[in-house]
Amino acid sequence: MAVRHLEVEVRREPGGAVLDLRGEINGFAEEALGTAYAEAERDNPETILLNFEGVDYINSTGIALIVGLLARARATKRRLVAYGLSDHYVEIFNITRLSDFVSVFPDEETALSGAA
Amino acid sequence: MLAELSVPSEPGNERQAMEKVAVAVEGLGLPAPALERLKTAVAEATMNAMEHGNHYRAELPVVIEVSASDTELFVKITDEGSGPPAFDSEIPDLEAKLEGVQTPRGWGLFLIKSMVDKMNVTGDEHHHTVELILHLDDRAEGGK
Repeated sequence: MAVRHLEVEVRREPGGAVLDLRGEINGFAEEALGTAYAEAERDNPETILLNFEGVDYINSTGIALIVGLLARARATKRRLVAYGLSDHYVEIFNITRLSDFVSVFPDEETALSGAA
Repeated sequence: MLAELSVPSEPGNERQAMEKVAVAVEGLGLPAPALERLKTAVAEATMNAMEHGNHYRAELPVVIEVSASDTELFVKITDEGSGPPAFDSEIPDLEAKLEGVQTPRGWGLFLIKSMVDKMNVTGDEHHHTVELILHLDDRAEGGK
């Protein structure tokens, strides 16, 4: 099984900047994630939304990268929102306590209305 | 024995390992949530073995043995490291990580322990083995 390197697209929505994530969030994802996050920050949005619908694997290094994004968001008083996580990764967000700091929604519609 | 398999110690190969283990346990009929937890535990233990045991030397395999009794599933993950098995013993604390007191990394052991019922770590001068254990008789009753 070949590694599916993370691809990220950034788009602007009225509720915030959305990072559409596709692939695996692992050690290979650091540059793509960091670059996309910086792009999302460019217009100084209050909220940045992470769309995990296209993500099928997150490992412990990926969790660390998400912690890094959360630290950046908190340092700039931005809200970080996640949606599209599978039940398994919602559980991992819960046990790591990421969900105490990142609002988790099932889909984009609820995430954007929750972010508004 | 349900399966014995190996993967070269190259970054990303933990996914191969977890998918192969998932195929090996198909006949046990694990509920989907339990299977996902097992896969995460296998992936994290394999990553640790590749990184800290075999130092990502591709010629050194991580060997995985999958077996089961009537009541338990066992997955043994062995690398060719020597000395004490390397796991970050610090309990991850998200607030400490956000404040920069802890490194953002260090989730592997925590995830493994959270995903399985029991974990044993053994080692000698030639190998480290992490054994993951799931209680099969808990599955139908909503166990971990």
